Amino acid sequence: MRLGRENAELTGHEDRTWHLAWNPKHPLLASCSADKSVRLFSYGTQNGLLDSPKFNPATSIPSVHSRTVRSVAWSPSGKSLATASFDSTVSIWERSSGSDDDGTASSGEWECVSTLEGHESECKSVGYSFNGSLLASCSRDKSVWIWEVQPDADFECISVLMEHTQDVKCIAWHPKEEILASASYDDTIKLYLDDPEDDWYPFTTLTGHTSTVWSLSFSPSGRYLASCSSDLSIKIWQREQAPGNRGEKWTCQLTIPNAHSRAIYSVSWTIAQEASAGSDEELGWLASGGEDGRINIWQIQAPEKSSGSNSSLRYSLLVSQSSAHGVADVNAVAWCPRDGFRDLLGSVGDDGLLRVWRIEL
Amino acid sequence: SKKDIRREVRSIWIDSSEEFIDAAEEGDNLPEVIDEDEIYDLLRSITDPEHPSTTLEQLGVVTAEQIKISGNHISVRFTPTVPHCGMATLIGLSLRVRLLRSLPARFRVDITVKEGSHQSESALNKQLNDKERVAAALENTTLLDVVNGCLATANLRGRDPIDAA
Repeated sequence: MRLGRENAELTGHEDRTWHLAWNPKHPLLASCSADKSVRLFSYGTQNGLLDSPKFNPATSIPSVHSRTVRSVAWSPSGKSLATASFDSTVSIWERSSGSDDDGTASSGEWECVSTLEGHESECKSVGYSFNGSLLASCSRDKSVWIWEVQPDADFECISVLMEHTQDVKCIAWHPKEEILASASYDDTIKLYLDDPEDDWYPFTTLTGHTSTVWSLSFSPSGRYLASCSSDLSIKIWQREQAPGNRGEKWTCQLTIPNAHSRAIYSVSWTIAQEASAGSDEELGWLASGGEDGRINIWQIQAPEKSSGSNSSLRYSLLVSQSSAHGVADVNAVAWCPRDGFRDLLGSVGDDGLLRVWRIEL
Repeated sequence: SKKDIRREVRSIWIDSSEEFIDAAEEGDNLPEVIDEDEIYDLLRSITDPEHPSTTLEQLGVVTAEQIKISGNHISVRFTPTVPHCGMATLIGLSLRVRLLRSLPARFRVDITVKEGSHQSESALNKQLNDKERVAAALENTTLLDVVNGCLATANLRGRDPIDAA
């Protein structure tokens, strides 16, 4: 198995590219950069397959941000894009009215329809909940904010969670339930639930990493959570009890030590693309990228049934792509979430480029 | 082209007057030799944030012995003047920025304070090696002005300003 390059490189950014996000409904990719801009790239499709020429710069969003745009996230409908910036704000972008709704790159201009203020310092990550009704953001100010998405691009802050003792680097929503996770410079991960009688609250703290936790990704089923750290390890945490149970526990079931040789900045989880023996769709494939310039793809597997009930998850390294962005760091990796395109992986790096890779079995 | 983009990206970080050109990008397959002495020369004439006329070499903050190179990995240790030195973050940031601007992009740099030399040793080390925090700090113009002030004489590389003139 190897990673094949689907494009030479998608250029346009004039400085380090920090993050990328695939639109879940339309053939669009968003990337953001230290140059303060957000760029969109389109890809052609024919009969549900990738067409050639494959990826094209679609548009640059004339950023309203005054500093680095650190992270981007699409709403589940694919109609809204959220951007988080070092200028401490989150912006929401939608295509102007009157445009087609076919998702093609040629339709309307993207406009900033809302700016969410409240964080006191650099905003680092943003994301929509599984059904798009909530948005979460986090910052160097140590807080996580939860916003209710209301009609007409209106956002109301419903909770400010001050649980971490240092910068919050990343947030991630559960794929099927209203469970939020956050990762921090304080080396911990926290998970939050909504108390219908009261406020959002942290129901558990996951400890074990020995340095900054940079990124989180839930497994497609939501039963597992992956985390990666400057301690060079990736950890897989497993939900122990039935969904919705307040007392639920998440425990570390697997540590991949020295998964990279320098800090690991990003993990992204997808269902396995190969129905071969031993593959487990629920566990699937995990991509990771980091300061060592590598992209690694890991297969996470269930314990062997014969080896007893208390054995833990297993992993194998499927692909290790060195120099994925030349001599530059890999800042983020993300699998395409669209049916028919799930073997596509996007990556961005300090070279200012966005690259798209395809798993070649 | 890819080369142009990379150059453009790097130009954000690199002064046009800087000493190094990435040999690999110039189509030359022989990368220049960068050793501990070369790194020391790059760093020794950086000045102290509180004493603009005193270099880090004169203060004993950086020494050749505290620099190690292994492949593309550079480790720089420095010794704050006092264990409660409030300027240690700025000194470390100045060292990092000097190397960011001077060295080819293939190098990875770790900057740490000498073991036992500062009361906030682990916090300092963590902050100086967090690329996101460093990037955010350098977007702060006040902070960047201070760093640029410390780097103003860095190109003397250990020479006396009068001799250099």
